[in-house]
Amino acid sequence: MSDLDRAIAQLRACRPIPENEVRELCHKARELLIEEGNVVTVNAPVTICGDIHGQFHDLMELFRVGGDPPDTNYLFMGDFVDRGFYSLESFLLLLCLKVRYPDRMTLIRGNHESRQITTVYGFYDECLRKYGSANVWRYCCDVFDYLALGAIVLGASNTLSQPEGSQPGGQDVEIEVCNADQQIISRFLRKGSNGGGSAGGSQAGGSPEGTGRGEGSPNGAGEGRPTTNGFGEGDGPPAPSNTGPPGSGASGASGGSLGNPAGAVLCVHGGLSPLIDNVDKIRLLDRKQEVPHEGAMCDLLWSDPDEIDGWGLSPRGAGFLFGADIVKVFNHRNDLSLIARAHQLVMEGFKEMFDASIVTVWSAPNYCYRCGNVAALLELSEDDSGLGVLARSNGDVNRSDGGMGGQGPRGVLMENDLLGYNRAGPARRYRVFQAAPQDSRGMPAKKPVADYFL
Amino acid sequence: MSAPSIPNLLSLRGSRGGSRDRGRGGPHRGGFSGPSASHDTTIQGTDTDAAVSRLSAVEVGYLSDPFASYFVTPSPPSFYSGPSPGLPVPRRLPIINRGTYTRTTAIDILVDHFLSSTAPSGQPRQIVSLGAGTDTRCFRLFTSSQRHQNIRYHEIDFPVIITKKATLIGTVPALKSILTAPTTLPSEATNTPSYHSTHTTPNTENSLTLHPLDLRLLPSSPTALPRLSPEYPTLLISECCLCYLPPSNVSDIISAFTTHLPSLGLVIYEPILPGDAFGRMMISNLSARGVAMPTLSVYQTQQDQENRLRGAGFVEGEVRSKTIDQIWDGWVSAREKERVDGLERLDEVEEWKLLAGHYIVVWGWKGTEISLNVATPRDDDEGDDTE
Repeated sequence: MSDLDRAIAQLRACRPIPENEVRELCHKARELLIEEGNVVTVNAPVTICGDIHGQFHDLMELFRVGGDPPDTNYLFMGDFVDRGFYSLESFLLLLCLKVRYPDRMTLIRGNHESRQITTVYGFYDECLRKYGSANVWRYCCDVFDYLALGAIVLGASNTLSQPEGSQPGGQDVEIEVCNADQQIISRFLRKGSNGGGSAGGSQAGGSPEGTGRGEGSPNGAGEGRPTTNGFGEGDGPPAPSNTGPPGSGASGASGGSLGNPAGAVLCVHGGLSPLIDNVDKIRLLDRKQEVPHEGAMCDLLWSDPDEIDGWGLSPRGAGFLFGADIVKVFNHRNDLSLIARAHQLVMEGFKEMFDASIVTVWSAPNYCYRCGNVAALLELSEDDSGLGVLARSNGDVNRSDGGMGGQGPRGVLMENDLLGYNRAGPARRYRVFQAAPQDSRGMPAKKPVADYFL
Repeated sequence: MSAPSIPNLLSLRGSRGGSRDRGRGGPHRGGFSGPSASHDTTIQGTDTDAAVSRLSAVEVGYLSDPFASYFVTPSPPSFYSGPSPGLPVPRRLPIINRGTYTRTTAIDILVDHFLSSTAPSGQPRQIVSLGAGTDTRCFRLFTSSQRHQNIRYHEIDFPVIITKKATLIGTVPALKSILTAPTTLPSEATNTPSYHSTHTTPNTENSLTLHPLDLRLLPSSPTALPRLSPEYPTLLISECCLCYLPPSNVSDIISAFTTHLPSLGLVIYEPILPGDAFGRMMISNLSARGVAMPTLSVYQTQQDQENRLRGAGFVEGEVRSKTIDQIWDGWVSAREKERVDGLERLDEVEEWKLLAGHYIVVWGWKGTEISLNVATPRDDDEGDDTE
């Protein structure tokens, strides 16, 4: 058993590794990460995860639901640390796995991977408490500076792979929502797959909560409807939860040829920046620094989509709000079918917005041990048509086409393109899960866990 | 800022204090069958929580309160998950700091309205703070640059809490200098210390009276309490207090005041919405700490809270409510928001909406002398309210 495997085993038991091992690990990780471009290319199949925030036991639950690394190819969209009690163990485990299985584990930077933020939100204090000095915090922060800012997923299929023995979902399922026990909760069909796009949606085979979830408008014309997925019954008004697909519905590639690779998926922690109109501009940033207070790098880690036109000021005091028009133009210009991001708590674990052009994935269940939310991860299947899959490379080399599988950059946005724009979105399987049971945490049950205004 | 030599309530309290109270709480008459005596101790502990939160908000600059530090020991309580023990200043997360700021500001604004609406009469005005604990509001009022006059401030809390507060007032020079030496007023079972403020001229003086009294034993007419008169306009404040009592006790307490005090304002601050995902987790987390809020299941929504005040005799149009989230949005001016947001970067916008949406301030008023009609958009000129 190598030292690394031993460290992984120890961290999986939620026991910190000695300071000198952390130093060595961080050194190795930096050597690896420095070779990665600002935007890492990842090939499907991949499982995309949002914020973890030091909720170690819930990260173990995530691995249980999503499959163990390296069997599952993971992409974590940042915010590994702060808020939870086990930022250290969570981040170091992910980092160990990255060093051990570099091609099966992608980590990109969140706004909490920052010296300034971690001193306010807990990671710094946790390191002090667990090691008696700030050395480990410093080693980790040095790694933060080398984390990629985004990832491009290539080769995602617009049909879902089905596990053996499961009911065939057909080729027209665009969205499938499963629970932590691999049971299908709901399915949503691609627009146009069932006759003019007017058909009722899902044939929710195997759904533990009944079938016919998709009744009603299968492609949810209304933008920005809150995503609901049947979890957490009784969370507020339950009525709309069963009447349409998650979020605003399918991307609606009517007649899109099934079996072809879907467009690329951009993964970034926060969102877009008014200074970035092209993925290649992300590649040009000098990322190896503390997250700045403003500018493109800051925006990518801090911004949020919102129901506005154009750009708006963010209530967070950093980054921007951006509307559907911004996302659609950006996706079109960059041949993206979807942007996956994290950064915002979503009670249902995930939320698609703007005609499914952007999705928020949130992977910290019962966030801060207080919010009562469920978490989700997003699985993109591998396209088996053999098209569009590139060998993974860590660098920016030979990426002049933006890593878009040879489609080439499109400098000019034709109006016709935009009007008729319906890039075939990848088929998406969301696995929704709840917080790990209390008794798995090894914490005394009486330990109070969250602050309230008392 | 709290020097080690300064005694404070937290160090005076602790397990011994709790058991002493348990001893005293045992023979309570009437066979009270609600929460246990240990629940009382737990509830008294929530005051510690509030005091630490207040000091945290003060230290970061959200609030100005020179008295907050006297009520907190240097190390945070053991359940606190933030900065490690041993740090000189306890610090809460930004979301909690903003909540503490907003609730304090909201009640300050309502108190301010009460005081301005009742000032012209020249009569004494009474403020009764239920479960006041370590609250510093009376010290802030008595030393305010607004030079309030004729305030009779009353605090009612468990004897164990009141005793410690009285000791602290007698020991800490900064508190002692605000008040005269106490007069001990005769009360049914206990001695009630009463102080006069030295910050006002003799004929318009402000006073503080501390009532060592388990609220469940409140006399059927609160005017039986020393120095509490039915003649004067009165503001009754429950800042996360009544929610810890059985609903029947709470109704009795409120009706005791509404029945005997014709000119009355009532301000209640407490959690709502126990039924959604966040609320269920809140109840589960608090019960893991031994904290139960029996009224929460009775007054679940903003509407329930308003109806409760209407049911208690406050008329339509003179009952209002706002969640903490709404107060932050509506009562904190743009300029002040900018100042507060500049103190710390509040990253958790969604969590703030959730948490702040689960706390409410509901208030009502009756009698001609009082108005708690806070103008909703307070955008331009309210910088003075949060002095």
